[in-house]
Amino acid sequence: MNRMRTLRTVIRHELRTLIADRSLALVCALLVVLIGYAFYNGMAAAENRDRAVAAVLASERQAIESNLETLRRIQAGQQRPGPFANPANPATIGSGGAGRYAVVPTIGLAPVAIGQGDMIPNYYSIGYGSKVSFMYDSEIESPWNLLNGHFDLAFLIVFLLPFLVFSLSYNLLSSEREAGTLRMLLSQPLDLATLLTGKVVVRATAIIGIAAIFPIVLLLIFRPEARGAEQFAGAALWMALVTAYGLFWFALAFLVNALGRSSAFNALSLMACWTLIVLVVPVLLNLAVGVAEPAPSRTELTNRTLAIKAENLRRYDQLFHGDYNYVAKPDALLAKDGRIEMPPRTRATFLADRDMDANIDVLLKRFDDQLRAQQQLIDRLGPVSPAVIAYEGFSSLAGNSSRRYLAFKGQVDAFHDHWRAYFVPRILGGRAMNEAELRSLPRWTWRELPNQQTRGDAAWRVALLLTLTVLLLALGVVKLQRYKVA
Amino acid sequence: MLRLIASKDLREFIRDGRLPWAGGLVVLLLVTAAAVGWFQQTAVQAERSAGQALDYQAWLNQGARHPHTAADQGMNVFKPEPPLAVFDTGVQPYVGSTIWLQSHSQGEVKFRPAQDATGLQRFGALTPAWVLQVLAPLLIIILGFNAFASEREGGTLRQLLSMGVPTRRLLWGKALALAASVTLLLLPGALLVGGLAVASAPAGAAVDIIVRLAALGLGYGLYLSAAIFLVLAVSAICRTSRVALFSLLAIWIVGVLIAPKGISDLAVALHPTPSRIDFAKAVRDEENATSREVWLKNFGVETRWDPRVPLSKWGIALRVTDHNGYRVYDRQFGALWDTFERQQRFQEWAGLAAPVIAVRSLSMALSGTDFSQHRDFSKAAERQRRIIQEVVSDDLIKNADPLGNRHFSYRANPSLWAKVPEFQYPLPRIGFALARHWPSVAVLAATFLLSVALALAVVSRRLSV
Repeated sequence: MNRMRTLRTVIRHELRTLIADRSLALVCALLVVLIGYAFYNGMAAAENRDRAVAAVLASERQAIESNLETLRRIQAGQQRPGPFANPANPATIGSGGAGRYAVVPTIGLAPVAIGQGDMIPNYYSIGYGSKVSFMYDSEIESPWNLLNGHFDLAFLIVFLLPFLVFSLSYNLLSSEREAGTLRMLLSQPLDLATLLTGKVVVRATAIIGIAAIFPIVLLLIFRPEARGAEQFAGAALWMALVTAYGLFWFALAFLVNALGRSSAFNALSLMACWTLIVLVVPVLLNLAVGVAEPAPSRTELTNRTLAIKAENLRRYDQLFHGDYNYVAKPDALLAKDGRIEMPPRTRATFLADRDMDANIDVLLKRFDDQLRAQQQLIDRLGPVSPAVIAYEGFSSLAGNSSRRYLAFKGQVDAFHDHWRAYFVPRILGGRAMNEAELRSLPRWTWRELPNQQTRGDAAWRVALLLTLTVLLLALGVVKLQRYKVA
Repeated sequence: MLRLIASKDLREFIRDGRLPWAGGLVVLLLVTAAAVGWFQQTAVQAERSAGQALDYQAWLNQGARHPHTAADQGMNVFKPEPPLAVFDTGVQPYVGSTIWLQSHSQGEVKFRPAQDATGLQRFGALTPAWVLQVLAPLLIIILGFNAFASEREGGTLRQLLSMGVPTRRLLWGKALALAASVTLLLLPGALLVGGLAVASAPAGAAVDIIVRLAALGLGYGLYLSAAIFLVLAVSAICRTSRVALFSLLAIWIVGVLIAPKGISDLAVALHPTPSRIDFAKAVRDEENATSREVWLKNFGVETRWDPRVPLSKWGIALRVTDHNGYRVYDRQFGALWDTFERQQRFQEWAGLAAPVIAVRSLSMALSGTDFSQHRDFSKAAERQRRIIQEVVSDDLIKNADPLGNRHFSYRANPSLWAKVPEFQYPLPRIGFALARHWPSVAVLAATFLLSVALALAVVSRRLSV
């Protein structure tokens, strides 16, 4: 009880000192400005993705309308169908004429981390062509931006927050000792642990409070999607993760202060820890993951793709050399009694694409499996760097993690198969598309990753960081026993 | 006396453990990065040249078939790995390496290695260049932050000055100590990278590589020397070593971590990159608009492949469409790539504010891994695609069009395929890089001179004891 009262006195005193020398205010102001800039960037990235989704969905609706309109005009004899642009022809519709897209929406928390969102597209145009013709697309982004990385909240918190922590707390005890005030303080009924705790609590509350709360306030103001009760758990976990990560660095500062060395030594050792944890270990880990679970060879994939393609061209050689007869027989382009003539080359292309996917699936799966294996390895090795734990957690809560994009690709793959299956009887059986079918083509729906999984993962990361924090604090308390005041 | 000052500082670096520990880490990272990079690169390069030969063989062995079908098969071309990619991977992880040359449209380079990697990639790729750009300045700060400040704190500065040691000589001596330590640490790694690059260079390119290495040496020399003088200047201005350390760390964080991101954001804000969807729409719209004109002029119809165009004109129609496409692609891709290059140019000059950007851009250029060289490869690949298209449509006009409605029953003689030469892409020489990136050299030289001037001004006027 007595100790709690002392702690409160320390905190009050410390707060007064920090306010008087303006250092806390300065660091907090800097943090606020940086959060504003990082949030702006994250927000812009999320809005770009939202715009892309809105644009493809609008073009999809437009395509449906224009197909229906063209079909009506053709049926009324007002327009002649083209050989490759005829809504009654399932080949036109199935191969892309339907303007169908598969999209993955951004989530409310998207602005907090850009993650992989600048590289992997959030929409694919769906046709029954082979997946090798559309699944490799990537978003257009300036190579410099990709190389330099974005200044988003994840970067700010993972890379820069620790410095703000250090700048306020590298000399908590050493400065008092160097100024000769530590002896005086300890002549009062006050022990070192209480003194150090009080000093850390004041700083941690201010810094972590701003870092965890201010971005969420901005999010609630500027992003209506983040306001639902659904999003609340995600936001709370994000705040918990920021708090745990911030506490980890304060605990490290606590430990270094407890060693009882000079201010300069403290500053240098904190800097060394930062360099190792944030800069060196992640790049080494990235390297190690690449060596331990190397991505399969894209060159081999490319060669295999071409070999399969060549094989298919040979297999359907006769069909590929069949001719179009609509010049001699213009009626061939018109649907009659629900049937339409399928030129041999159309059938050949359809079959070749189908065979391509049947053969290439195994190879493509290897890439996704490997990426999954890399991710698992990182999750296993992650604890060696709290920076990695936090960074991956932020991406995942923001819905911009590798895992979510892999899931998206998996679902697109399944939808693509479904789309093609829909057209098999129509292409091979020569069945024409009618108005009702054009309205009721297979639709894409995105199934979000189970919330429990994302949240469970984030909670585990918080627990991991808190465990590391407690370990550092415990070590710090032990070291304090041997602290030499003089 | 110069040597005396320098050797005293050097001895201190070693004695207090800064040089062995911090330096040892840097050396270790440098060697690891070089070794791993070299193994990966050798494997990739061997695979790519084998892969390209394989596809070309498949092209030659197509037998008698319709040329359009041959163009549908197409071929893949692979960007050769520049030997110095082992030093600096540049934008390579983000731009891909493979183009499938197919009929109908200009391909894009696919398979960005970064897409096959996890989010961890964004912490940075461990390359020797990264170590030099990011960690080496930090090493210089750790070694040099108290160069003047500790002499002041220990009272030795007063002594030295009272003995009449010229402050400038003190500056040169301390700079020499820092330069010697950095060289000592970085030289073995540099020699290893250089040796590996020369060893893996294609025949006849060894001289080019050596010149590139020398230019890289100059670029990084200017960059790190600028860092040395800046560190010494700050150390001389600040009253205590603590303030010096914090100021220098702040400069490092802003200059190395924040500025590149901020400046590339600014570059994109000034020269916006189109989204994929806008770009694809622009290409499609222009293609539709121009092809309408072309088809109207040539065949009297408004839409492409209008059923009224007889099959006896499909050979010529293919050519007309292709040629229209070339113009559209040249303009649209050209505009996109110009945007990227304008972003780059902006960053180069912004290097004056954050030299790490200047050295990064020069380093990529000299290593052959920058965007200009990617663009050059993309253009070469598109030229090869156009050769294929021309051979195909030429043959169709001559041999298939006369067959009238039996266009697709035509089969070309297998000797036709050999009219398309094997794709050769000799890597650009160093002149290519220097012609585009001389501003970075100028910026680095200016930064170096400025930091020397700053350090001299500080020690001769503001070196308080």
